[in-house]
Amino acid sequence: MSRNKITAAFAAAALIALTGCGANASASNTSGEDFPKKGKSIDLIVAFSSGGAVDTAARLVQPILEKELGTNVEVINKPGAGGQIGYTALTSAKPDGYTIGATGSPSVVVSPLDPARGAKYTRASFQPLGRQVIDPAVIAVQPDSPYKTLKELLDAAKANPKSMTASTTGLQTGEHFALAQIQETTGSEFAPVHFSEGASQATTAFLGRHVDVLVANVSDVTDLTKQGKARVLGIMTAERSPSLPDVPTFQESGYEVEAGTVRGYSAPAGLPDAVAKKLEAALQKAIEDPAVKEKMSALGLQTSYLSGTDYEKFWAGQEEDFKKVLPLVQKKD
Amino acid sequence: MDTLNELLGGFAAAMTWQNLIFAFLGCLLGTIIGVLPGVGPVAGVALLIPLTLNLDPTGSIIMLCAIFYGTQYGGTITSVLLNTPGEASSAITTIDGYAMTKVGRAGAALTLAAVGSFVGGTIATIGLVAAAKPLGELGLLVGPPEFFALMVVGISLLVALAGKSMVKALISGALGLLISMVGIDPVAGAPRFTFGMDRLLDGVSFVAVIVGVFGLSEILSHRKNAETPLVHAPGLRSLLPTRTEWRRSAPAMARGTGVGFGLGLIPGMTGSVSSLLSYAAEKKFSRFRNQLGKGAVEGVAGPETANNAHANAALIPLFTLGIPASPTIAVLMGAFLQQGLTPGPSLFTEHSDIAWAIIASLFIGNVLLLLLNVPLVGLWTSILRVPTPILTALILLFMVIGAYTINFSVFDVFVMIGFGLLGLALRNLDIPLAPMVLTLVLGPLMERSLRESLEISQGDFSVFVNRPISAVLIGLGVLIICSPLLKFRKPKALTEDPEA
Amino acid sequence: MTTESLLTKPERAIRVAPSVLAGIGTFAAVGVYVLASSVGLGLWTSLGPGPGLFPFAMGGVLVAMSALWLVQELRRPSERAEGIDRGLVIAVVVSLVLLASVMDLLGFQLSMFLFLLYHLKLRGRRTWVSSLIIALAGSVGAFYAFNYGLNVALPVSAFAPLN
Repeated sequence: MSRNKITAAFAAAALIALTGCGANASASNTSGEDFPKKGKSIDLIVAFSSGGAVDTAARLVQPILEKELGTNVEVINKPGAGGQIGYTALTSAKPDGYTIGATGSPSVVVSPLDPARGAKYTRASFQPLGRQVIDPAVIAVQPDSPYKTLKELLDAAKANPKSMTASTTGLQTGEHFALAQIQETTGSEFAPVHFSEGASQATTAFLGRHVDVLVANVSDVTDLTKQGKARVLGIMTAERSPSLPDVPTFQESGYEVEAGTVRGYSAPAGLPDAVAKKLEAALQKAIEDPAVKEKMSALGLQTSYLSGTDYEKFWAGQEEDFKKVLPLVQKKD
Repeated sequence: MDTLNELLGGFAAAMTWQNLIFAFLGCLLGTIIGVLPGVGPVAGVALLIPLTLNLDPTGSIIMLCAIFYGTQYGGTITSVLLNTPGEASSAITTIDGYAMTKVGRAGAALTLAAVGSFVGGTIATIGLVAAAKPLGELGLLVGPPEFFALMVVGISLLVALAGKSMVKALISGALGLLISMVGIDPVAGAPRFTFGMDRLLDGVSFVAVIVGVFGLSEILSHRKNAETPLVHAPGLRSLLPTRTEWRRSAPAMARGTGVGFGLGLIPGMTGSVSSLLSYAAEKKFSRFRNQLGKGAVEGVAGPETANNAHANAALIPLFTLGIPASPTIAVLMGAFLQQGLTPGPSLFTEHSDIAWAIIASLFIGNVLLLLLNVPLVGLWTSILRVPTPILTALILLFMVIGAYTINFSVFDVFVMIGFGLLGLALRNLDIPLAPMVLTLVLGPLMERSLRESLEISQGDFSVFVNRPISAVLIGLGVLIICSPLLKFRKPKALTEDPEA
Repeated sequence: MTTESLLTKPERAIRVAPSVLAGIGTFAAVGVYVLASSVGLGLWTSLGPGPGLFPFAMGGVLVAMSALWLVQELRRPSERAEGIDRGLVIAVVVSLVLLASVMDLLGFQLSMFLFLLYHLKLRGRRTWVSSLIIALAGSVGAFYAFNYGLNVALPVSAFAPLN
């Protein structure tokens, strides 16, 4: 008799222990009307490691999304292969609205274009929900570097190609394209080092002086500049950035280079209309929330919202542009 | 002062009622795993990872850490009462622990072991607090080549110390690395070893592999089951040690802390080495050394303090350098990575709130275990009376649920079964499993740092020897691997290490 | 030490145990496969170290170590490992495979109930009462605890009446 009691007690203890974990998971068929079901959490996949701009933006948006949708939203980092691992996870999830993801172009637009990557998704596998920011690319050197201006740096890289290493956040990401565009227009060649987990790894390596040149986005260097840990020499946009007013644009220095990363949110293609509408509306609220916008600009990120449909059109335009420069960042055997 | 403030902040975060419950549950489950002879800490921690995946990172890591050091406490109970160690690191305790049981001092032995564990664990955690800042600041010096070199040292230590055959340890390590490479290549994005299966693009699930290789294969390799032993919980009154027993234990605990803390810092050392060496230290230095083996309190207090000091000290290289010192820590590191936290110097810069909350919870956990362990001895012994078939069935139930819930797919259950068979084969061929877990976790990090290093040097392998830190580390790794050729004799305790 | 070497001496004539040989062969084969396929992945590209570089090194280690192991075994065969309990392995593995195969069809509750009953009653020879109680707690009980307590969806049956 006592054996049964003990067994029952053990089983009960185990189950109670389990219940304490208060876990959540998603997996169910939705018609869309009752979306999101109470207690069912939404996974927001970030294809880069925590600490980078994509991750930070997602975590800023998350609480507002929770409030708007009335359910838990969990940010899940799936870094690697310059975003491809996270995008694969996103596009292979069920299109039921319980999995959405942060998407950054050019990587999301370009990775399916290069057959060598063997991406399992195309641009049509995504259903864009809204664009959040445009984050221009910048080029920075160590604070004690001999190069004081963009021209000095680029001339040196032209005179001795590949003599300096430059960070990217992975093969065929925005930074890699920026380097390719610089090489194309100015003839200056850097040796790229791909930190495929994201900007936080690239920045850490730059701070440790393991790479000479940091190619990153405005948001990555805003803090570093304030602390005097990096000297930003140029920004790859038409206008100067409000967060870095002293940094000249490439055009001012006489180079026709524009590059950057554009970020937004998407779902796997095939969402029920009602679900898509709810998610889009919630995202717009979250992205345009004044408090979120303010925090974003403190990080050097200028909010620039576009609806799902417009975001998709924007991608199509980008795809055309990047197809032209793609050979520059493809491997040649 | 800065450190103290951050630690206080950590306490505030760890003291929320959810996190206290997580720590409590972790201690409880850890003790149960420790008590059960069939389930080791590696499989136990891996088995419980799926339960914590949906928690927030702080809560989940707090719970897993609590499970981890809870197993160290739990292992003592069966050693003392039954003469069978629940964990390898408590094996040496059986000698004097069981002798004390025979003369009716089981309660005192358990209390002294628990107090010793508390002392060792707490002092080691203080060490972690002190080491975190200075070591963390060294972090920036560690670039990709240095990181790669650090991994090489960690793996070569484990390979060199793993049991009898280095050849077999290397095979195990290579297998772990190959398993970790299944899926999309983390740099160029090319699918590798996926055999055309879309499900494998995201890699083989780490949890399913560990649960299979360690947990399921353990069950599969059971010999004909013995009868359930009869155990009697000591009465509450006998739990109090006498004044002499206290006085004699104190120096043993001090020595145990020193041994465990020192060895815990070295990657590749397991808790069993610490408890064995601590016993050896008692034999050499204790005033009552002639009584050892006949039920001397020093033989319980010393090793039990040592293995807990070891367990907590082993978290120092994990937190500060990102190097897992033992297989269990490697599994813990896997859980960190799954939560999006990369252990190492960047942990304190990017997630300092989480890191300090976890450290604070280590202190809390040690107190909880002290409170849980001694008065509940009756409950723990009753678990031992559950018949083996029921335990096996319940453990299988948990494994299936655990594997299924990783991705809500039966696929991972099959993965677990497959790796269970692989684990059984490896056990039968006498191939150590520990190097495999370590490389399984470190594989992606190693590959990434290798490729980044070679990009920095533009293909020149001399980057690993041109930089002073990595040169020293690589040299160390080579030396360790070559040590058997130099006729370097391992201490006996190492060759007999049952965990390796 | 001395007794051991005395015991192993007669076995030297039998040479390497077949299971060890099979193991070495398998590891070597896996190593060769990895070597071959990693070349196809690209060891080095114009953009730096390729995706095949690291697997290539590991394949190499595997092949080299298998060869070394074979040499060691030929010189001095290892003692035979203790046999495994074949009945147990087959029973557990087959029952797990069956469970995993039917779980999506029959649902978690029914399939797990049968699985537990098999291990408790048929294999474990527990009493009917304790077998039934534990099997019910582990299947239906766990299902409800997970589904409603934890919000973790365990599979339900493809046939509605079975739920």
